[in-house]
Amino acid sequence: MLLILDVLTTAAVLFVVAIGLLAIFGVLKIINFAHGAWITVGAYCAVVTTHLGLNPWVALPLAFVVGGALGALSELFIIRPLYRRPLDAILATWGLGIVIGQLITLGFGRDVQLTPNLVSGTVNLLGVDYSAYRLVALAAAIVVGVAFAATIEGTRLGLSARAVIMNETLARGLGIDTARVRLLTFMIGAGLAALSGVLLTPLSSVDPNMGVGWLIGAFMLVMVANGSLPALALACLAFGAAQVLISTFVSPILGSIAIAVLAALVLRINPKGFSRA
Amino acid sequence: MRLSRLAPLVAATVAVAALWVAPLFLDPFAVNVLTRSMIYAVLAVTVDLLWGFMGILTFGQAAFFGVGAYAAAMMLGRFGGAPEWIAAALGVAVAASTLLGLAVGWLSFYHRSTALYASVISLVFPIVVTQLIYSGGELTGSSSGLVGFDVLPFEPAGFFRLAAMVLVAVTLAAWVFVRSDAGRALVAVRDNDARCAYLGLNPKRLQILMTTVLAGVAGLAGFMFANASGVVAPENAGFLFGTELVIWVALGGRGTLLGPVVGTVAIDYLAANLSGNLPFLWQLLLGATFVAVIILLPGGLAELASRVVGWLPSRRAEGFAPTLRARASLPASRDYADPLLKVSGLAKSYGSLTVLENIDLEVRPGELVSLVGPNGAGKTTLMRCLSDGTEPIKGEIAIDGSSTAGLTPNRIVALGIGRKFQVASVFESLTVADCLLLARASHDGLSPVGRAQALSLPQAAIDVMRMTGLDRMLASPVHLLSHGQKQALELSMVVALEPRMILLDEPTAGLTKAERTTIGTVLRTLTGELGIAAVLVEHDLDFVRQISSRIVVLHQGRLVLDGTVDEVVNSETVKTIYSGGGHD
Repeated sequence: MLLILDVLTTAAVLFVVAIGLLAIFGVLKIINFAHGAWITVGAYCAVVTTHLGLNPWVALPLAFVVGGALGALSELFIIRPLYRRPLDAILATWGLGIVIGQLITLGFGRDVQLTPNLVSGTVNLLGVDYSAYRLVALAAAIVVGVAFAATIEGTRLGLSARAVIMNETLARGLGIDTARVRLLTFMIGAGLAALSGVLLTPLSSVDPNMGVGWLIGAFMLVMVANGSLPALALACLAFGAAQVLISTFVSPILGSIAIAVLAALVLRINPKGFSRA
Repeated sequence: MRLSRLAPLVAATVAVAALWVAPLFLDPFAVNVLTRSMIYAVLAVTVDLLWGFMGILTFGQAAFFGVGAYAAAMMLGRFGGAPEWIAAALGVAVAASTLLGLAVGWLSFYHRSTALYASVISLVFPIVVTQLIYSGGELTGSSSGLVGFDVLPFEPAGFFRLAAMVLVAVTLAAWVFVRSDAGRALVAVRDNDARCAYLGLNPKRLQILMTTVLAGVAGLAGFMFANASGVVAPENAGFLFGTELVIWVALGGRGTLLGPVVGTVAIDYLAANLSGNLPFLWQLLLGATFVAVIILLPGGLAELASRVVGWLPSRRAEGFAPTLRARASLPASRDYADPLLKVSGLAKSYGSLTVLENIDLEVRPGELVSLVGPNGAGKTTLMRCLSDGTEPIKGEIAIDGSSTAGLTPNRIVALGIGRKFQVASVFESLTVADCLLLARASHDGLSPVGRAQALSLPQAAIDVMRMTGLDRMLASPVHLLSHGQKQALELSMVVALEPRMILLDEPTAGLTKAERTTIGTVLRTLTGELGIAAVLVEHDLDFVRQISSRIVVLHQGRLVLDGTVDEVVNSETVKTIYSGGGHD
């Protein structure tokens, strides 16, 4: 039971962390290596909320707004010139990540910050005492995933985004403002990344470089998901399970590289990953 | 000519001499830092070859460097610094990283692998190596690394000179290589690896070979680093160090070799001097400059320098052209009765959509078979199935009796099939002469050290070039050619392969009447006089009627008619298909 809960909550955390990257990769075909920096920004929103003495939950909307605003600026000035050079976009966003990390260091210092737990204590679930917060994270993942799917399937923006994914030239010919779709997508992606940063604060230490480790995992999951939301959920479950099982039964160090290695192998066997499995 | 060939050697000699005396004038701190910077610059050269020239964005060179450094440190720590053990440590450092390079290359490059996948592997690999170092216990010193092992018995100035000599040697070798004929192949693989495969070259093997060799060079740099610094740490193998290498190369100027060397030495030296006082500000400036350079100045500081000064040689500024020479073509000695191509029961579907069904076709040497049919009839798909044996199909395709099942395009080219694409598939960043050189590479090989002064092509290829004026444009960059010239260039490249059969997908689309006539003449010469078989997809029925010896009609994935020009042109079926069908 404990293992099952661990698998589910680990998968949920991975899903929340990766979904912002997926949104940007799916629509813009850009790998946003500043993703880790947005996560860090979100976590520091939680730090700021604490310093101001506000309710810790305020950090969630704050992070989404701050992440979205920063995302808008970077799309306009950094990503927009690079749509035709996708490998260069990886590098430019990585450089942006360095800049953001150093700005945070200059502002807050390089030390680990402490944030209050959003939900503390444990819950007794079928005879197992389990961290209440990890269950909240599971619920959050489901909410974020459903909201994201609803946006894609049910709104005008989602329809435009799907049109851009399928055939951008045609979409532009039909009068869809593709530049605006790209901008909004990037804002949502960055906002979701920052949101996940807040959700990570009780699980991970908060320091200026915390995002990098999460970036790699999220990147591998998105590659395997190949831009598809259900495939991402599946990949998070499968690789989350592998990570938990290998960490528990074999070695935590092997567990920490399980996602990267397994994703590389899956892509070697099937370049489309889980998206058509 | 001789002078310019000697220039790099002279420059290298001057550089070695200058760097040899440099420690006499530098303070000890500068000697130590620059030793490290020059070792890093060796890595930058390898990153530049992979990324700047071959287009493989890699973060993995750091891991090969780390493997070399750890292998050396572990050997020296265990067996001590006797000369034979130092030699053994060097051997193990280079061998271990080379072998890992081979494994990583094999994993990264396979038929239909993408550039992005290679980057993904290059990102995973250093992470795996770092974690293995962390979990290595006393063997690898875990997170604290290894110190206190014996090293080469040099003073700091000695290590400085060693690093300088290795850097100059590696840079010189890379410089000569990228300017040689074989160096053209690196750029060709980056530009258009599909065309490389359809010229009978094996782009994946070249990528694996380069990954392997350059991993070995990185291992050598690791060995020097372990000796010069006396300490190795997990960070030396890490992904972050891999990104730093890419940053240095990008700032220095990818694809210029000298740019990355100068960039790496300058940035690492500046970092050592500045980061003590302003650690975060330095990183911030570096990151911001990196972003700005990627967006505004993709050629890096070398591009800036060459714009300002105008003399720095870069890969764009080349006007070399060999002289053309005709080679005796092989006599058509084949028995014309046996079919060269035999297709039986071919079917191809994408999911539930059936594109080709039950195709039987035979083509003999000297025949010019035109494949006609409305759009969507499956003509291009048939061409693809003929030229790529890895396409999943039902049925059998045999060339000269041997089945093509499972063969990659380059191996089918080796069987004597040349393919010309619908949209001209050439190498945009090379010159006309370079494209033809690569077309001959599968027969004549490529020199890894120099440039061939003469380019010998089959007479038919030269004829195509004469008729289209390309023979006077050998030194022109391909991206400046017109649409018709690119089509003619691709045709000459395919003819230069000396194939036994050529597949042509709409070779006259978008060409003028005069150009069309030229191509028709060439095709008739190839088939009539040289006995080459040709399969042609074409919409222009007048053109087809003039040149074909046989016409095959495809309709909705089925072969509906196969006969002489007269039979097909006068057939009721063809009239029905082309006029919409069904209304008599």
